[in-house]
Amino acid sequence: MKGNDRRPDPASPGDSAVLAEAQADAGDGQARLALDQAFDSGTLYALRAAVQAHASQAGLPESRTDDLVIAVHELAANAVRHGAGAGRLRMWERDGAVHCQVDDSGSPASDEDVGPGGNVADRWPFLPGHGLWLVRLVADQISVFSGPGGTRAAIVLSLSGNDPSVPAPD
Amino acid sequence: MPVSAHTQVTDLTPDAHACLTFGERDDLLDLTAAFVRDGLASGLRVVVLSDSPQLATAKLGWREIAADAAVAAGQMVVVASADGLVGAQGFSAGQAMDWLRDQLTDSRRQGYEGIRVALDMSWALRPMTGIEELPVLEEEIAAAVSGAGMSVLCGYDRERFDPVTLALIAPFHSHAVAAATYYDDPVLRICRQYVPPGIRLAGEMDFLAAEALALALGEAIRIDGDITINMANLSFIDASSIRMVTDAAASLDPSRTVVLRCRPAIEARFAQLGADRLPHVSLVGVDEG
Repeated sequence: MKGNDRRPDPASPGDSAVLAEAQADAGDGQARLALDQAFDSGTLYALRAAVQAHASQAGLPESRTDDLVIAVHELAANAVRHGAGAGRLRMWERDGAVHCQVDDSGSPASDEDVGPGGNVADRWPFLPGHGLWLVRLVADQISVFSGPGGTRAAIVLSLSGNDPSVPAPD
Repeated sequence: MPVSAHTQVTDLTPDAHACLTFGERDDLLDLTAAFVRDGLASGLRVVVLSDSPQLATAKLGWREIAADAAVAAGQMVVVASADGLVGAQGFSAGQAMDWLRDQLTDSRRQGYEGIRVALDMSWALRPMTGIEELPVLEEEIAAAVSGAGMSVLCGYDRERFDPVTLALIAPFHSHAVAAATYYDDPVLRICRQYVPPGIRLAGEMDFLAAEALALALGEAIRIDGDITINMANLSFIDASSIRMVTDAAASLDPSRTVVLRCRPAIEARFAQLGADRLPHVSLVGVDEG
């Protein structure tokens, strides 16, 4: 199975400042798309290696590189295990931060336990100790959008290590 | 049970001539440690031949073998290959056998009932005159151990010795020994660790190998006493695998200690996910295996 057989269209998230920013980032001349890689269960190892290489190159400190690698892995693993079984990672650098976006064409996140707020990150199952909980712990920002086209999870990690504008997760 | 056609190193007979094949140095050190530990515990004399005796002694040390004390007491000796099997003029099977018989004679003179000899055969990878006699040495060892109260463990790196040599020397051994392995591919290896008891993970661990990790942990917690999960050579572990290790540790009776040996980055990850809050779990940071 090849990961890019099921490359999804961008999710249909509705209005969102974060996504608009992400798309603008990917498109504008200043933000460099560092990585655009399809993945499935057989290529998670290669995905981690690529993220690690690019993060080191972008100047992320070693501990932040580890954070980025595990965050991307957990998002991709989530797509493999609970989503479409495959997906696509895009990663770029802008304004002193690394932005990552993981898309899969799987069914939307559960409608149960709908919380307030603009995106479905609020109702993702952030169980303590689980992968998505860890992503929220290490990333400075996280947003998740689900729609008929699939799911898009986006995270931002500052290059310096701390983003004071973002409160620490519970 | 892990699939293995091999004899467990802990089940070797007193006159065994065992061929230990290993893919990683950790396997050689671990299985040698088990062989040494059981020999010392049985009151036998133990001879360890290594290319780097100091390093070998240190590596036995963290594996809870009181190597220094055993050496001081005369029960154990760690010999450099160059002072043992290999002479100044190169290698000859006759000379090597003389050295081995001397070890047996010495130990009998000192009152030991028997002797265990662990030979790291890496020296035979170096070009030297007479190395074509290696199979002769193995054949003579096979004859010498019979009824002599001597067991010999010959460690061969299966990646570095050529298949022809391995095929030539294997038939002269009474037992084949290797680490019990639960998972082995280019990215990840999960195997049993004999000393201290537990399991060893090397490479990158994620949910795709969850079944093998569950099996390995299940077997580890069924043995008595404390457990070590050796992750010194693990460079990545995902959240679900950390949780599996932590849950297995949490399921143990608190009287049993679980040592998680890992690099600082992975140690921090375990702590982040709460493993350090279990009173009977101890996180031990290491730089390398």
